[in-house]
Amino acid sequence: MTLRRDHIAGAIFVAFGLLVFALSGDLPVGTLSFPGAGMMPKLVAGFLILFGLLLILRANESAPVATVAWGDLPHAARVVAITAAAIALYQTLGFLVTTALLLFGLTFGTERRHPLVAAAFSIGVVALTYLLFAVALKTPLERGILGFQ
Amino acid sequence: MGTVESLLLGFSVALQPDVLWYAFLGCLVGTIVGVLPGIGPLSGISILLPATFGLDTTKSVVMLAGIYYGSQYGGSTTSILMRIPGEASSVMTCIDGYAMAQKGRAGAALCIAAVGSWIAGTFGVIMLTLIAPPLATFALRFGPPEYAALLVLGLIFLAYMSATSLPRTLLMACFGLLLGTIGIDNMTGHFRYSFDIAELGDGIGIVPVAIGLFGLGEILSTPSATVVGKVIAPRLRELLPSRDEWRQSAMPIARGSVLGFLIGLTPGSAHIISSFLSYGVERRLSKHPEEFGKGAVAGVAGPESANNAASTGAFVPMLALGLPTGPITAVLIAALMIHGVPPGPTLVNEHPNVFWGFVASMYVGNLMLLALNLPLVGIFVNVLRIPYAYLYPLVIMFCIIGVYEVSHSIVDVWIMLIMGIIGYGLRKFGFDPAPLVLGLVIAPTFEMSLRQSLIMSNGNWAIFFQRPIAAALLGLCAALLALAALSLIRSRKDWRSKLAEVEAGENP
Repeated sequence: MTLRRDHIAGAIFVAFGLLVFALSGDLPVGTLSFPGAGMMPKLVAGFLILFGLLLILRANESAPVATVAWGDLPHAARVVAITAAAIALYQTLGFLVTTALLLFGLTFGTERRHPLVAAAFSIGVVALTYLLFAVALKTPLERGILGFQ
Repeated sequence: MGTVESLLLGFSVALQPDVLWYAFLGCLVGTIVGVLPGIGPLSGISILLPATFGLDTTKSVVMLAGIYYGSQYGGSTTSILMRIPGEASSVMTCIDGYAMAQKGRAGAALCIAAVGSWIAGTFGVIMLTLIAPPLATFALRFGPPEYAALLVLGLIFLAYMSATSLPRTLLMACFGLLLGTIGIDNMTGHFRYSFDIAELGDGIGIVPVAIGLFGLGEILSTPSATVVGKVIAPRLRELLPSRDEWRQSAMPIARGSVLGFLIGLTPGSAHIISSFLSYGVERRLSKHPEEFGKGAVAGVAGPESANNAASTGAFVPMLALGLPTGPITAVLIAALMIHGVPPGPTLVNEHPNVFWGFVASMYVGNLMLLALNLPLVGIFVNVLRIPYAYLYPLVIMFCIIGVYEVSHSIVDVWIMLIMGIIGYGLRKFGFDPAPLVLGLVIAPTFEMSLRQSLIMSNGNWAIFFQRPIAAALLGLCAALLALAALSLIRSRKDWRSKLAEVEAGENP
């Protein structure tokens, strides 16, 4: 049997539905005349499992999983890693430093642009964005514990 | 107060210089957002949402809506000049718009797209003016059972209209509904799936989910090396179409306007679906169907009019019923809620300045867009010359600022990143993330209405069939499900499966 795209997708949703049931143990379902906090999540998780199974049953209509193109995955992984680092640092370093590093990281680290061009681009964009948000739109940006905006 | 008097009140609000300024700003940003591939109106609206916190409700909703319908205008520019759809709704314009550009008629194609968009947008606003107030008055009769039935109908309709299969759409909607249950249960005070993270007590916000799925998810799926394109820059004097081109575009614009508005009323990616359907209708009605794909004027005029009329039509259920028909109207609803103005039946009567000011601003906004899009096309073309390698880092930066500034919560930014990764995965497996956002938005109202209905009836499900409006709405649900099941049993290709093929990139 060829493993198809919907076999994987359906199995993930079935597993997710079961996980919801497992995590909902302490949530009361209540009664029909007074439904509890657990009624809606369990009802929806049930439907999620049902539709997941339907997807698996009809998986033959979908493309084989081997045909899914993952060529963009390394680029996506680099973007995610740099963005995650920026989010982790955002409240510590503040807007100015973090976003300058984020932009430099993406243009130089991911896109392999010339470091000087990437640095000029990052500093220029951050300065303009600061002027737009903090000065023109009066929207305070994160200062960070170092005290930079 | 009659419609004319109300509209005059609206114009007295919309023509105030500061409201005009924010309408212009929204239209300008919307056009730029539409022109740039990879940035959708949803990202644009979400990123600028925090900047509207200091404004009053009317100005903020006028600006945000301007971004939405402005992006529909801007999307055509990229499609015609580069064969890259600036917006998903401009995919069909790529085919004949770019073919016209290659024949040296880029200016004419842009002009027809802009005029068609203006006519369709204005038609949509006139219909909104006429339909929304009586619909809101009717909706005042709705109680919890009617609202629960209406939301079920919304989900079923979305699944039925969706180009992807029924179980896939419903799976996405269920996933969204589940995400919507995270946080404190309003009726009993139980914490649900918050894992001791205080920020999750208030639930998951629409903005981080929408920006993550549509903004970041799109960027992750688009490596910069794949974004290349040659811009065909038209000269200003080439903008005027010939008499024959005007004649060929008249009826497609009229048909596209009506079709687009009607589809816009329904849940789902109406502005996208309407342009696909309009293209199909025009090709079928054409005396020269062989010209489609080779620069047919109707192939530009119809879809461009349809997507603009649809984006206006989507405001009818949003304003009159408080029902979002897609992720963009969901974020607009969130914007209204942030300002303490709940959209829905009470909006027209309790906040007439906001409602009619908003409606009137759309008449003005559509005129502004016509003035913006034609003479300034050269400037917008230059925006397209920004390399994608520099553009997407900018978008990521604005995504982070946009999400963080809504509630100054870093947890929301992490949620955005997770949603971006999920969005990337969903695209790989052929899922449309729009129903997920819709499910998330309607989850609290749906759960509350369902539970209130059961409490009202002492646990008797028959309450949904004993009340005429709720029964009629559920009857419609059953009919739609039966229709979907019928096409499944017959295994016959209907218009939805053909649409799915076109969206997947097969020949239209």
